[in-house]
Amino acid sequence: MHQSPNLKVPNQVTQPEATRTPADGKSQTAPLLLEIGCEEIPARFLTEAQTALGQRLRDALAGTGLLADAAVHTYSTPRRLVAYLPQVLDRQPDREESVVGPAAKAAFGPHGEPTRAAEAFAAKHGAAVTELFEVETPKGRYVALRRRVAGRPALEVLLEVLPGVVTGLQFPKSMYWLAGRSGESAPRWVRPVRWLLALLGEGDEAQVVPFEAFGLQASNATHGHRSAGRDPIRVTGFLDYREKLARAGVEIDPEQRRAALRQDIERLLASSQLRLVPDAGLETWIVNSTEWPSALTGRFDERFLKLPREILITVMRDHQHYFAVEDRVGVLQPHFVTVLNRHLRKFDSARNSKSECRTPDPAPVIRQGHERVLRARFADAEFFWQADQRIPLRDRVPMLERVTYHEKLGTYADKVRRMALLARQICRTLEEQGSMTDQDTLRVLRAVQLCKCDLTTHMVQEFTELQGVVGGLYAKEQGEPEVVWQAIYDHYLPQGTEDRCPRSLAGGVVALSDKLDSVVSGFSAGLEPTGSSDPFGLRRAGNGVVRLAVESLPGLDLLKLLQAIATLNLELPASDWVTRVSGFLRERTEFYLQGVAGLRYDTVRAVVQATERGWERPADALARGRALERIRDTEDFVALSVAAKRTHNILKKSAKADDLTAAMEPINEDLLAPGPEKDLYHAYNRLRPRLEEEASRGEYEAAWRLLAGLRPQVDSFFDNVLVMDGDPRVRRNRLNLLSKLSREVFRRFADLSQIESMTLAPVSAPTSEASSGG
Amino acid sequence: MSSDALTFQDAILNLSKFWADQGCVLALPYDLEVGAGTMCPETFLRVLGPDPYRVAYVQPCRRPADGRYGENPNRLLKHTQMQVILKPPPEDIQDVYLQSLEALGVRLAEHDIRFEEDNWESPTLGAWGIGWQVMLDGLEITQFTYFQQCGGLDLDSVSVELTYGLERIIAFLQGVESVYDLRWNDSLSYGDLRLEEERELSIYDFEAADPEACRRLFETYEAEASRLLDSQGSAAAAGTLRNRFPLRKVYDLCLKCSHLFNILDARGAISVTERVALIARIRKMACAVARIYVGRKMPATVAV
Repeated sequence: MHQSPNLKVPNQVTQPEATRTPADGKSQTAPLLLEIGCEEIPARFLTEAQTALGQRLRDALAGTGLLADAAVHTYSTPRRLVAYLPQVLDRQPDREESVVGPAAKAAFGPHGEPTRAAEAFAAKHGAAVTELFEVETPKGRYVALRRRVAGRPALEVLLEVLPGVVTGLQFPKSMYWLAGRSGESAPRWVRPVRWLLALLGEGDEAQVVPFEAFGLQASNATHGHRSAGRDPIRVTGFLDYREKLARAGVEIDPEQRRAALRQDIERLLASSQLRLVPDAGLETWIVNSTEWPSALTGRFDERFLKLPREILITVMRDHQHYFAVEDRVGVLQPHFVTVLNRHLRKFDSARNSKSECRTPDPAPVIRQGHERVLRARFADAEFFWQADQRIPLRDRVPMLERVTYHEKLGTYADKVRRMALLARQICRTLEEQGSMTDQDTLRVLRAVQLCKCDLTTHMVQEFTELQGVVGGLYAKEQGEPEVVWQAIYDHYLPQGTEDRCPRSLAGGVVALSDKLDSVVSGFSAGLEPTGSSDPFGLRRAGNGVVRLAVESLPGLDLLKLLQAIATLNLELPASDWVTRVSGFLRERTEFYLQGVAGLRYDTVRAVVQATERGWERPADALARGRALERIRDTEDFVALSVAAKRTHNILKKSAKADDLTAAMEPINEDLLAPGPEKDLYHAYNRLRPRLEEEASRGEYEAAWRLLAGLRPQVDSFFDNVLVMDGDPRVRRNRLNLLSKLSREVFRRFADLSQIESMTLAPVSAPTSEASSGG
Repeated sequence: MSSDALTFQDAILNLSKFWADQGCVLALPYDLEVGAGTMCPETFLRVLGPDPYRVAYVQPCRRPADGRYGENPNRLLKHTQMQVILKPPPEDIQDVYLQSLEALGVRLAEHDIRFEEDNWESPTLGAWGIGWQVMLDGLEITQFTYFQQCGGLDLDSVSVELTYGLERIIAFLQGVESVYDLRWNDSLSYGDLRLEEERELSIYDFEAADPEACRRLFETYEAEASRLLDSQGSAAAAGTLRNRFPLRKVYDLCLKCSHLFNILDARGAISVTERVALIARIRKMACAVARIYVGRKMPATVAV
């Protein structure tokens, strides 16, 4: 395959034009270009750093009044962060400010005549004493002057603010390079900063903003790609900057690099029947670790294709940053695509045409180098694969006694023992529900027993990210049934919100046992997450538990399961974990419903606080939440939630006074007043059988539609019936009726009083001064 | 990638000459077993304190767990590092480093060179730094680190450490598939000189080593180090001469323990919890040495 650079040296860069029109009569605008040149920034930090630079610059300039236009364009490569503002005012607008002088008592005599202090203060600011006025301050009354402050030139202001903008950028991990860590004033940054460029204006009018930071002074000089030499490149403005850098092998715009990379790869593969195994994460990593990407294809020995696809892809992606290549039906091919951080041709072919003739095409040498490295990597993997097979997984079970899980929680052998107890408990529930047979249970337990054995293999010790997957592949090779090896393969799933869940129910049970054990044992050992710290990764495990309960085991009641688990002999450091774990899983369920499923926050609150069902069956909570979202904004339903709130408030107020207990008291029909009260009672009773039926089928939307049908009776009741009747027996009976409605209608499947409907919000608050002053 | 590529020994000579020209002291390889060039006193001690220093040396390094009985073409129990310390580093350190590759015969214009994030850490030395692994056409050839902490101490002056994996780089340049095929000089190969040794070292570390004997040696060396450190404590309290303390000997004992630990580890004789505890014991010695060394370098006001 042939290759050539796809990024073009721009003849003309299109960009937002800087305007020179006066903004307020005095100020004109000028473009500002800022570049921080540094040693290679880690790819994983680059995107955020680029955004943060733009944000900091915008905030700093807004604070000084220099920002004429909010547009801030930012760019980045591993060796530079760049910000370009097409329009910055060339001087600050003038403004008025108050200057506080001496205390009022000291400024004026007993008859209001100005003292010498007042005169001196006025004179100092070139004002007349008559211009003084009094102000109230926390320290008492003082005299003050209004003063017009002339705006300062942008250059002067930028000199002051730019150092803070560049030195204040925060990174997840930063370093010292000038003085040591013990030197207090030494700057910290993600990597050493080597040059600063700051230009105000364009072309002949461009002025360097010679601010100082990191022991450097900003100039108009930048540097090209490393291979373009070390001489500084002087620029006169953004256009010039982009064009010269492009000639020097640098495309500053990550999105341009991404587009060029895609085009390049497409062109390389166009003539073949091959395509990339798509990998967005890898693509971004490459975009953020190159100044000028050029794709290059390479080959590897077909004998390595005997290794599983997962292993080949992991070696290529995680260790070498190569794209894997497959044919049109998705079969991996003995090719790869690597991306270089350089041109494969000279930067300026016109100027360097002679040297180009002398320099041989570097691609064959570079390709050969990459192929050689990959061969050694694959040879290692092949060795591990063969060596690991000599001890089958089943013979590795005792080896887990030597692998520590956590110092407080024993070895992986201990963890597997606990997982087996949990899995048995979960399977029992599923057997009772009829969704599993005892044969299935045996397969689940087999998978549990083998699932951690791959931790003792060379392959997982070398490629830790393949834990589980490797175990599954070995189990398959060693003749385990499909359901067993797949359950092992899948048992770390889901790892994140985007990740898939295990393929089978058995896999779901194994995965759930694993994550649930992590949570339960972690809590019992006092490793629960606090604030932003979660060293044991329990939130992630908890999120996994909830997702499995929704997607893999939708009938599962987590609370009942926890209570059952608490009776098992898990040999944990402490047994007081049940309340904390259930609180934690409830919180994770709420996170899932809102953050992952996208329900509104009051929907989530309503769903988990219902009287009959709460968070404990996350799948059911999700079903109720979804149904509620569909119906909650309908007119009748909004009315129903208003009534729910009203009922809730009445019951809350009267609960003490009338000693109304939560226990249900039967309603005495004889005490119900004819008309609205009786109508409501009978209407509800007529509805009940159909309601039960819909609810039992999980048809919550239908159930709520039925309830919404009660609206006329509910409205009429509240319009016409006085709950707090003078006769205590009637009042009590009426409160009982409301209490029943509250439990069985307003809060049964969702606490409707939690719903914040639009009609309840005040239309407009009486805050305007004009109306209150009138 | 060809027959005109440097031999192993010429590569060492060229690189040594290059760094000597940059003002580095050419130090000798340390005469004890070490797992990395960083562990030599010329790195561990010299990066401490404020004094500027530049040094380069070749250091054979032993990593028992990497032994393959001479059967793996890329993995060695004992490999050779070129270690360079620049304290403080020059501003153009990356460019100087790239020139050193040219001294090895790497024509930069013909390759793809990358600096990929890789932060180095040595729990046994209480040391860590920020930096990259340098990749040459996808091959990791150098660890490039800005030291941030050493011996558990924040550093007064940042050093750059460059660690070249010589076998890898030269195998790449000579275009050989196995390190044992490297031309050491014009007539002898790397295998001629080292294959037998690799096999023997692997046999000892994986099979023949007596874990109990290794443990006893560990305890003995550690006890001797503790005894010296305790005497230093009482000497300091009595206000006697702190410059007479044999701190490099204590550090040697610490290095002995570190190597014994590596053998026990390769032997599979250490459980994971024990591993953490043993590393902490070695680190304790290293950190004590670092504190005494810095105390000596600094004005008397600094507590030792």
